[in-house]
Amino acid sequence: MFPGPTLLSAASAIVETALNQALEFDPAGRKALLAALTAPVQFNLTVPVALTLTLTQGAKGVLVGSQPATQPGLVIGGPAMAFYAMASGDTGAIQDGRLSISGDTALAHQFQRAIEQLSPDWEAAMARHLGDVPAHFLAKRLRNSVKWSRDARHSMASNLEEYLHEETGALPGRRELEASFQDIDALSLRVERLAARVEFLPQSQPPSLPSESSEKQENS
Amino acid sequence: MSDQQTPASTATPDKPKDDLTPFGFRDVPKSQKAGQVAEVFHSVASKYDLMNDLMSMGVHRLWKRFTIELSGVRPGHQVLDIAGGTGDLTMKFSDLVGPSGKVVLADINASMLKVGRSRLADRGYVGNIEYVQADAEHLPFPDNSFNAVSIAFGLRNVTDKDQALRDMARVLKPGGKLMVLEFSKPTNPLLSKAYDTYSFTALPFMGKLIAGDSESYKYLAESIRMHPDQDTLKAMMETAGFANCKYHNMTGGIVALHVGIKP
Repeated sequence: MFPGPTLLSAASAIVETALNQALEFDPAGRKALLAALTAPVQFNLTVPVALTLTLTQGAKGVLVGSQPATQPGLVIGGPAMAFYAMASGDTGAIQDGRLSISGDTALAHQFQRAIEQLSPDWEAAMARHLGDVPAHFLAKRLRNSVKWSRDARHSMASNLEEYLHEETGALPGRRELEASFQDIDALSLRVERLAARVEFLPQSQPPSLPSESSEKQENS
Repeated sequence: MSDQQTPASTATPDKPKDDLTPFGFRDVPKSQKAGQVAEVFHSVASKYDLMNDLMSMGVHRLWKRFTIELSGVRPGHQVLDIAGGTGDLTMKFSDLVGPSGKVVLADINASMLKVGRSRLADRGYVGNIEYVQADAEHLPFPDNSFNAVSIAFGLRNVTDKDQALRDMARVLKPGGKLMVLEFSKPTNPLLSKAYDTYSFTALPFMGKLIAGDSESYKYLAESIRMHPDQDTLKAMMETAGFANCKYHNMTGGIVALHVGIKP
């Protein structure tokens, strides 16, 4: 079955090397991540290809495996896009069920905090090869570029949203939509209640009274 | 298969067949095989790692990595690495078991053990590793001693493989895992043909060029062909008393990792 064990091992070896090299430039983050890995953390990728990656605490850093752990402390599963969303800071990936989590919730929180704290010093990494001054110059440029591209992306997204909602009216506004959805939910609830009451009516009807004709016959 | 792969018996006719064992494509008396294998490894010990990297183009590291991943070894475990040679698996096991665990690197060949010990000590692997010169057929350990036993590229050199597997089962704790990483039979005929050509031409040439010894690498290629295929080895493990035996083909079946559990 593709990918075979050799390719999986190659992939996990590459991830392990990259991860540990990145952690070298963030000693505090490395310490926190290793402390958080009190038990193996397992990622089960479902789409586009079924893959498993495990993170385990090793004597010299984080060990990355391509086979399911014997006793994982935490298992996170879902499609690759949901993992990407989570890595980009979208916590909704877990709340809306795109990612499933099972295992030790304390470990999950500890692991999440350790990941959020990670901040490798890329400038130091470059300075090793280029020298302090060129590395600082290059890092400054890179930081500015990243900040500019992030701002530009946010700005473009909000401009597009505004254009579609406000100027063309092609899509309803977010608040308008939310109000409509709330109305629909309220209506649905009321209909359900009404249906339940209608269903209940025959059962709660009082026993039928004797008819007038029978009363007259009795009187005569 | 080409003609060169047909085993050619060189044993004396008066010797009963039962007393013979394959040494590459030749049959030799069982009593002599260990000595002849020892000669091969004395000869290649100093260049062993370099030759492994060249011959497998570095892929042997991935095969060993997969073995470690499937081992399930955890801190505090006791692990036996038979035919551990220059200590590739021992190094990884040492990281996994931590200071509370122990790894025993066993090899029948003193030269390989010496190279392995120097290499591991140079890299700072001390404290939780023991070195034992031991024969895989007669392991000098009490019953039920280890959580995991591994033998990587060593079983094909063992004279009595069934006895070795039985002894591995003996030293494993109940629930312990045996991992046999060994060359096997490619599953694709085209790959098999290319692999044969590579093994019988390129390997001895590289051996002569790098290690100054083509005969040892000719033996390597021959011994691989004489080693039991995936299903036969699995059956041997079951006969030796292992349960849940299965194998994982790697690189098209050139190498297979057999795993069995001691019930």
